[in-house]
Amino acid sequence: MNMITTAMVGTLESSDIQVTIEPKNEKGIEIVLKSSVEKQFGTQIRKVIKETLEALNVENAVVMAVDKGALDCTIKARVQCAAYRAAGIKDHYNWEV
Amino acid sequence: MDFELEIRRIYLEDAFEKEKLLQLLQQEGLELDATIEYTMGIYKDNSLVATGSFYKNTLRCLAVDSEYQGLGLMNKVVSHLQAELSQRGEHHLFLYTKSTLGNLFKDLGFYEIACVENVVIFMENKPDGVARYKSEMAKKKVSADQVAAIVMNANPFTLGHQYLVEKTAQENEVVHLFVVSEEASIIPFETRYELIAKGVAHLPNVILHSAGAYMVSKSTFPSYFLNGEEAVVIAHAKLDLEIFLRHVVPTLGITRRYVGEEPYCKVTRTYIETMNLMLQANGVGCEIIPRLEVGSEAISASMVRAFIRDNRLEDIKTIVPKTTYDFFKSERGQALIEKMKHHIGRH
Repeated sequence: MNMITTAMVGTLESSDIQVTIEPKNEKGIEIVLKSSVEKQFGTQIRKVIKETLEALNVENAVVMAVDKGALDCTIKARVQCAAYRAAGIKDHYNWEV
Repeated sequence: MDFELEIRRIYLEDAFEKEKLLQLLQQEGLELDATIEYTMGIYKDNSLVATGSFYKNTLRCLAVDSEYQGLGLMNKVVSHLQAELSQRGEHHLFLYTKSTLGNLFKDLGFYEIACVENVVIFMENKPDGVARYKSEMAKKKVSADQVAAIVMNANPFTLGHQYLVEKTAQENEVVHLFVVSEEASIIPFETRYELIAKGVAHLPNVILHSAGAYMVSKSTFPSYFLNGEEAVVIAHAKLDLEIFLRHVVPTLGITRRYVGEEPYCKVTRTYIETMNLMLQANGVGCEIIPRLEVGSEAISASMVRAFIRDNRLEDIKTIVPKTTYDFFKSERGQALIEKMKHHIGRH
């Protein structure tokens, strides 16, 4: 899946995560994370973001995430939504990847 | 308490809602900014407990009722404004607020660009925004002992501007000329840039830059958290200079800044005074150059605009370079003149 535009989803409210995905010229996934539970779960949050994007075959993206203690399932859902929007895909979603 | 809250847009045309908004802002020591295009509020039992606004891509007039602070209402305000801006295609956001609130907004994904202690902090939501701006700028760096900088709006480019650039180019090995790119003037950036480029084409040591998102003109500088006009001008000048000293000076190795003297406008004079003090304090030279005069009057861009509005295009011949005059004679120039005649405003 190719990132062609910037997309922002989610909120800054407690238990949510705001995810912004931008296209990246070079290959690779770059994650900039700010989290209220960075010390406890920073590694895990990055892992979920990375795995979600890999499952969608996203190869070039800059992800800016501001986390307010979201659960893994929330993170996954937000990242999927942001990726689809950034790819300009508006139907035939494959949620079960 | 989430279920008791209602989030909705506030229309300033509604006198009743506006009054409630002004009350909340005043209670929190803020004012309503003059330039605002969108305002929202969070209501509890129909009374306003939090608010936020934006103008273009800058968040402003952010406030939460003291009794409701610490409950994450500001997070809701910022989320709402970001979502609205995102729909409008604005992703790179800026905000200005009291310097004491910097940490609150750092937790909301904002990063510091510059800060004037105890007065104002300027932030953006991209971690590498200013770093990218600097690396773009660094591509135009030329090593030399005397490197000058000028920031100009040139609305439009006059003989006065040309004189300032020529003098600077004579006295320095390299001149970095920043053109204010913000669209706060009647003449669009593209045209202002083009007229400057043509007017300095004969000076090989002048390097043009677009000033970018980090040099803000005072017309859009938000002042909602400051009291008094003088305080606003000084805060704006200090922040502007803080950005210049922290990001531009080291990137390009600037040794001196040049500026045209201001004979008429008190606001601009205060700005230049503050600039002079701050530059000197940081070991950067500040040269204030007297304006070029025609007859006994200093040439100014507002003079040119006045002539154009009064259908006296021939009269600008003595105060603008031929390149600027030729532009206004052209088809594109004539279209702009029509627009200028219908424009009311100081700039």
